[in-house]
Amino acid sequence: MEMLGLYPVFYFPNYGSAWLMGLTGTIHIMASHTSVGAGLLFAFLAHKAYKEDRPELYDYMKRYGMFLLIFSYVIGSITGPGIWYTATAASPRGISALIHNFVWVWATEWVFFIYEVIGVFALIYFIDKVDRKTHLKLTYTFAIASVGTLALIIGIISFMMWPGNDAYYNTGSASDAFFGVNTFPHMFLRIGFMIMMSGIIGMIISSSMKKENLSLSKELTQKMGIVSLLGGFLTLLSFMWYIMTLPVNAHAILGITLDSIIMNRIILSILFSVYFGIAIFKPQWISRTLAITMMFVIGIAGVWPGEKLRESMRKPYVAGQYIYSNNIISRDVPGKGIKNEVPLLAANGYLKMDPWVPTRLRTITPENKLEVGKMLVTRACSNCHSLEKYGSYRPMMGLVGKIAQDEAGIKSYIKNVIGTGSSPYMPKIALPDEEYDAMAAWIATQAK
Amino acid sequence: MDATFINLMRDPAGVPFFPVVFQGLYILTWALHAAFVLLALGALGLSLYGSTKQKTDSNWKIFNPHLIMTGKISVSMLILLGIAPLLFTQVIYDSGWYVANTLSGAFVFIFVYALIAGYMMYYWYSSANKKSNGGTLIGLISFVILVFCGILMHNFAVESISPDKWQEWYAPNGVIDNSGLNFHIDIIRLAFMVSLTIPVVGIFMQNYSDFLSTRKDFSSEYLTFVKNLGTKLAVVGLLISAVLFVVWMLQVGLLFHPVVLATIVSVVILLLLAMRNKNSYVTTGILVVVALFISGVRELIRYNIMSGLGYDLYGYPMNLEWETIIMFLLTFVILGFTGIAFILTMAWKIGKREGVFDASKDVAVTRLANVTLAIFVIWIVVYFAWGMVALFKNTL
Ligand code: HEC
Ligand code: HEM
Repeated sequence: MEMLGLYPVFYFPNYGSAWLMGLTGTIHIMASHTSVGAGLLFAFLAHKAYKEDRPELYDYMKRYGMFLLIFSYVIGSITGPGIWYTATAASPRGISALIHNFVWVWATEWVFFIYEVIGVFALIYFIDKVDRKTHLKLTYTFAIASVGTLALIIGIISFMMWPGNDAYYNTGSASDAFFGVNTFPHMFLRIGFMIMMSGIIGMIISSSMKKENLSLSKELTQKMGIVSLLGGFLTLLSFMWYIMTLPVNAHAILGITLDSIIMNRIILSILFSVYFGIAIFKPQWISRTLAITMMFVIGIAGVWPGEKLRESMRKPYVAGQYIYSNNIISRDVPGKGIKNEVPLLAANGYLKMDPWVPTRLRTITPENKLEVGKMLVTRACSNCHSLEKYGSYRPMMGLVGKIAQDEAGIKSYIKNVIGTGSSPYMPKIALPDEEYDAMAAWIATQAK
Repeated sequence: MDATFINLMRDPAGVPFFPVVFQGLYILTWALHAAFVLLALGALGLSLYGSTKQKTDSNWKIFNPHLIMTGKISVSMLILLGIAPLLFTQVIYDSGWYVANTLSGAFVFIFVYALIAGYMMYYWYSSANKKSNGGTLIGLISFVILVFCGILMHNFAVESISPDKWQEWYAPNGVIDNSGLNFHIDIIRLAFMVSLTIPVVGIFMQNYSDFLSTRKDFSSEYLTFVKNLGTKLAVVGLLISAVLFVVWMLQVGLLFHPVVLATIVSVVILLLLAMRNKNSYVTTGILVVVALFISGVRELIRYNIMSGLGYDLYGYPMNLEWETIIMFLLTFVILGFTGIAFILTMAWKIGKREGVFDASKDVAVTRLANVTLAIFVIWIVVYFAWGMVALFKNTL
């Protein structure tokens, strides 16, 4: 019998492998967004320095640049492929789908990325080695290259949420997949955030220049305050636009958490407006410690929940609304000749269709029933739930405990809710009855 | 074990272009990745020795900071250049790459954070060295971490070409292991890869010396010192690598394959050129050829293993994708080449002289700068235009 093209399951205890990806993603966003924002900021500063003949601004750029090299480029350029690597370990078929749709887009981004990284070294180390006019041109190209990397990745990550329309399923074209209704709002959301981040980081640098040059430090802190405020405003506006372009299943998750998200965003907006206000009106009050603290606040209270939300909203899919988080293809994509796997799995079950099942576990016996159950649950559910009772990532045993107390109840939940596809955020996992039995048996032993 | 198992894991979306193109790009870009891996580790490794000499030896005092800087930039380059083969390998050998990544999932995660730690420590080492001519210990830790990253890379490579062992590795004795802690190395292959760091840094030193020979602020005695040391490293290193290469080829049974023989010939030419030490730029040219051959041999090994099992690489189902490949080709050739030419020409001319370089008076650089800027602007305009058309077509 034809099996499914599944891969081995990697499971990271307590957190689940997807959580690792979220962590790497958050760090990456902080670093990469700062670097694109800084690309724009540098263009602005270099322009000013050149037109108004203000050499001291070059010193600032140089300091900022050194910070960037270490913070953004080291961390950003490693966590970039890093997300990809960890995402691969967590959802190989999800990444495979993206690669096989968008490899040339990624390759194009790679060209920009090369220019960006060679450019950043040149931009910083050549500040006082090359004439200002040529340096200014370099800064302009660098800014566009940075935005270009965003322009190229944004369609891919928007496609992860959804293709935005049905055209892609019929044409299979990467261009249709790339430019969905979600792509541009998502892009401006990020550009806003990038500009804001460049200001937030800029304040770290400007506030630490007080000793050498107080008036310059104040002037720059003020400017960074204005930049951040504008960036923040663009972020908020685009966030609303972005929410309006999300698919239906995203609203299911959003519905559960919407109030707390709105609360979080309101508090953050007020907090940061005050902060940027201080920077503008009382720049001397901004100290380096404060500036660094605020950077962490935005990371921990802003980006991390935002990333978790984006991951949740995508559920039950991992990419393009045709591939589930548990690596099963959930619909036909005629444009690519891709076939829905859900009915096949329902008819035959994992034990027959998963090529990675060891021979001794292919048939359920009283002795191996629990082991099979564990294997199936790991395969079917661990991408979204940690399996330990007190795990940190949507702990399944805790969630199950709220719904059913015994094996029969658990089975009936999996079979009648998840198995029929009635949960808006969980995949339809329809399986033969005996596999539900084994899963329920194992879960019952763990949930106690 | 046969190809049905591997074929099963091929992506149902098919490949978007002819597999042979991805294979070629893979060989090309991996060679570049490897070149910078070797230069980075070689420069960092040698600088550790240098940092112990630096306080007393005036030559090392000048050379060591340059070595450290070279390694630092090379790490950035190797990361950048690693991305391309990472893309291409998983288009055509998706099964191998994804199996390796899941079997060693925990190491994938460790790799990312080790690389961050190792590279941050490198910056630390670099600034400690600037301040006090020291920092050897920090540098050593950084070096060890980065070498460890290389060993992990090697682990992924080995796993991805061992399809007949996958099931046993995933479920030893039929008991599934989801921990992602599989770790398998092939010591000869690894030793060969690592040994190449020595000749690469040696040839780099010859280049360095030739490049700076036009500058008056470096004494010829200093440059001769660097060059001679480079020659020694290149020759000794190449001999070691050559022996390891032959052993490796014996192990995989490919010693008499034409590509392998050609590799050996090119290594011998490289050795002679490095020894003669006349024009190091030519030597570097041959080094690039050798790197391409080694990359080709790696691919040959993989291709043989996979096709030996019946995996038909060139028969991978294909869904041709014109728009995006055209975008890539145009961007790569026009924007990429012009842009990089702009920065490198500028860098070359800056490096060749003392003081400020007035590029606005240099016709070539100015023209490159203007053209690059124009291409970037056009690119962005085309991008948005394309996006708007696609969106309107699909939503209205
Ligand atoms: C695509 C990701 C995904 C997969 C795969 C998945 N779940 Fe869930 N599950 C979720 C999300 C999201 C929630 C909502 C969690 C919350 O409320 O915090 C959830 C909630 C639950 C709940 C709580 C009840 C409810 O409906 O909210 C149970 C029980 C549960 N899952 C069991 C399972 C089992 C058993 C499997 C495997 C057969 C599984 N899940 C697979 C995403 C998933
Ligand atoms: C310090 C960091 C790194 C070192 C020392 C290193 C070293 C190596 C080595 C030695 C190999 C060859 C392994 C073998 O053939 O046995 C290799 C392969 C490879 N590396 Fe790296 N690497 C590093 C970082 C990276 C990064 C960051 C990426 C991705 C962005 C990357 C992508 C690749 C790819 C795709 C291969 C080929 C794997 C295959 O197809 O078999 N490397 N690397």
